[in-house]
Amino acid sequence: MELAKNLQTTINRSHGKTDLYVDLAQSISGVLLIGFLWMHMLFVATVVVSPELFNTLSEGLDRYYLAQVGIPATILLIIIHIFLALRRAPVRLRDMRITYRMAKMMNHYDTWVWVGQVVSALFVGVMASIHLWIILGAWPLRAATSAVRVASSGPADITWGAFTFPFFIVFYVIFLIAGEYHGGFGLYRILVKWGWWERHTMGWVLKGITVIIVGLGFAALYTFTQIAANLPAGGVIH
Amino acid sequence: MGRKLTISCFRFNPNIPGDKPRMQDYELEEYEGMTLFVALNDIREKLDPTLMFDFVCRAAICGSCAMLIHGRPRLACKTMTRTLPSKFTVMPLPVFKLIGDLSVDTGTWFRDLQVRAEAWIHTNKKFDFNALEVRMENETAEKIYDPEQCIECGCCVANCITANIRPDFIGSTGINRVYRFLIDPRDERSDADYYDVIGNEDGTFGCVGLMACDDMCPKEIPLQENLAYVRRKMAAAGLKLKFQGVKIS
Ligand code: HEM
Ligand code: SF4
Ligand code: SF4
Ligand code: FES
Repeated sequence: MELAKNLQTTINRSHGKTDLYVDLAQSISGVLLIGFLWMHMLFVATVVVSPELFNTLSEGLDRYYLAQVGIPATILLIIIHIFLALRRAPVRLRDMRITYRMAKMMNHYDTWVWVGQVVSALFVGVMASIHLWIILGAWPLRAATSAVRVASSGPADITWGAFTFPFFIVFYVIFLIAGEYHGGFGLYRILVKWGWWERHTMGWVLKGITVIIVGLGFAALYTFTQIAANLPAGGVIH
Repeated sequence: MGRKLTISCFRFNPNIPGDKPRMQDYELEEYEGMTLFVALNDIREKLDPTLMFDFVCRAAICGSCAMLIHGRPRLACKTMTRTLPSKFTVMPLPVFKLIGDLSVDTGTWFRDLQVRAEAWIHTNKKFDFNALEVRMENETAEKIYDPEQCIECGCCVANCITANIRPDFIGSTGINRVYRFLIDPRDERSDADYYDVIGNEDGTFGCVGLMACDDMCPKEIPLQENLAYVRRKMAAAGLKLKFQGVKIS
């Protein structure tokens, strides 16, 4: 390392506020996304209470244009977040190697968690796109349509003789875990970077919340499979 | 009788043409109260006089003997061999320039840090040789003492992924150093002045929050707290926020 004074660093210096805004925006995008994610999971889990409640909520969101505004806003937020957060990820092969080697050698918990966050981000990125595509392709969203999507055999399921690979159940289980892991630990990181709290206690609180939300997600998925099983043969829409 | 220790040492001397990096095993007997510092000296005395490593104080004060011990950066003089398995590896710290074997040059890196972080008291007061020193509140002195304990060992630089992949990042020790002056009433710099120094990606906003530094600092400096304080303070300075009566940092 040497004294960082060349044309590029000198010019960067005169944009003194950019680094701050970008760092703040990254954390804010993270907080908003995790807020969205947890609310989303609570809404979906209403199906466990009753499909009617789920439908009422969903209709309400449509009627007051909350879904029509909320969904594009969330997509935009995810895109912004990807741009901001990817700055931090090891992107060069050299950096990936160093990251993996150091994480493995030190075997340090928080460092591994971060590596897991970068990896889960890739899963979330791809799976969120697929998820949105499918949801928007069969609008509006109701308990029955969701149930068919999640649990009845659809075009994406693969059948070998008597055995069917339930593509969407597997998809949603992985998506749920990857999303909650990425977001939960993301919030932990934001609080560690900015907050006043002792991080070990805070870590346990966030892990507790994450386990509850993942549990709700599983309950919702199970409920959808039950609804799908009781639908008239032929289902409704794919 | 003590255990038989097998210490697997990284060997490489960049000054010998054609020398290749390799691991070399040394076997020796452990005895009561043995530190790795003692073990390495035993090796150099009895087994291999060419093994290079640094030490000065052997009391966790000078910061020279930091190395990767069993994978983690620690001080050799503060590491009891009985806390380690009977076979373990020892490697030089990453990030810093390799002098040879276990010895690295932390001095150049830290010198550069001092310059970049402007790590000295900035004051316009004329120093009066004859006047009594101005007294400091005990509470303030204790607050400063805590970041001031940094011995520049470089452990928190070596174990930080960010510092490993971004050579210009000033590391936890750098941010902690600025914190030390930030809370010192004798330093007359404004928050905006400090912002100029570390309100950027190479400084406080470059930290990802991996907390390896906080977990492994041999002086147990509360780096999480200190780093978060600086981050909040610098964000407030950058946004020119002033919260009357509200403690934000
Ligand atoms: C539901 C979607 C998502 C949520 C709730 C979410 C949430 C978060 C949060 C809270 C953080 C911590 C931010 C910080 O430390 O300032 C974070 C970090 C990160 N996110 Fe996401 N994220 C989502 C989707 C994505 C996607 C799709 C990608 C990229 C493909 C991504 C890439 C990253 C990366 C690489 C980090 C690490 C950045 C760092 O350590 O500074 N995230 N995410
Ligand atoms: S902050 Fe701790 S780990 Fe870092 S250089 Fe100082 S004493 Fe070493
Ligand atoms: S918190 Fe992590 S990124 Fe920040 S200085 Fe410490 S080890 Fe490096
Ligand atoms: S020899 Fe001085 S810190 Fe270990």
